[in-house]
Amino acid sequence: MTSLSRRAFATAAMASLLVSCGGPRGESQGSTANPASTPRPSRSSRSSANTAHALGRSVPVRLQIPAIEVDTPVIRLGLASDGSVQVPPITADDRAGWYRHSPTPGQVGPSVILGHATVGAYGDGVFRHLARLRRGERIVARLENGAAAVFAVSSVRTVAKAEFPVDAVYGDVDRPELRLITCGGPRTGDSYRDNVIVFAALTPASP
Amino acid sequence: MRRSILSAMALAGTAVLAGAAPALADEATPVPTVREATKAPGQAPAASAEPSKPEATTDPTPVASVAPTEAPAEEPAPGQVSVVPSGAPDTGVAPASAESGNETGLVVGGSAAAVLAAGGAAVLLVRRRQATRA
Repeated sequence: MTSLSRRAFATAAMASLLVSCGGPRGESQGSTANPASTPRPSRSSRSSANTAHALGRSVPVRLQIPAIEVDTPVIRLGLASDGSVQVPPITADDRAGWYRHSPTPGQVGPSVILGHATVGAYGDGVFRHLARLRRGERIVARLENGAAAVFAVSSVRTVAKAEFPVDAVYGDVDRPELRLITCGGPRTGDSYRDNVIVFAALTPASP
Repeated sequence: MRRSILSAMALAGTAVLAGAAPALADEATPVPTVREATKAPGQAPAASAEPSKPEATTDPTPVASVAPTEAPAEEPAPGQVSVVPSGAPDTGVAPASAESGNETGLVVGGSAAAVLAAGGAAVLLVRRRQATRA
């Protein structure tokens, strides 16, 4: 009888061991439902990595480009009635304008600032010498909240207006970038044939 | 024979008992997990740690630790271009008005010169006529 009970005990122990081995697997499957949520932490860490230098939203009020001696107030621009982007008014005190449907400088995404190369009878515009910028040169956007977003020029492109690179200028990017746009190239009547586009990225120097 | 029957019964009984406990545990834990999982996306996109720990005392800590890190990360996220303009911006008004001013100046100057020349020619003609009469 004792051997019988021993056997029964041993069998029961084996059975419970087997079942308990299966149990945790089920639990681990339950917890792999959580790993469905593990992308979230990784996503948040990815976004935090991308936004390591990103600034909060604050409208630009001033733009400074030391290399070409630009120091101008920045106004807000929207869309014209034909769906094109507004440009600053033709005035003697020419200013740059920030496209308000783009991120503010320092936010993740392409912040777009436009300025005139020439303002008709008033002469040169604020972005007259934009095409002279070279890779690495600094652009500082002063924000309404007192912060400054410091960018470094990545590239300068002169493109025909007919082939304006909409995606490259307005397309999504995963870091804070800046686009400065003006006109350039030979004149065609009252206007210019080309656009000069400066691509810049936020530098770690930004606060 | 008895032994084998007894051992089989013990095995079956133990298996049933042992299987019942995880089954109950399975039923108990997934229910809150699923609920929390469905709530989490609706409330806040952050709460990945919430589902497994709502019953525990650690509930406040994951919420507190996840939410602040997520909030600033999301702030710049809507910062892409929301409305893409059509066409290229016209950011250069050539000094056409100044050029047209020069052109009009040239026109005025040219016409004045023509008037002067015509006047001079008329004076010459008059003088010649007077000279021939004399």
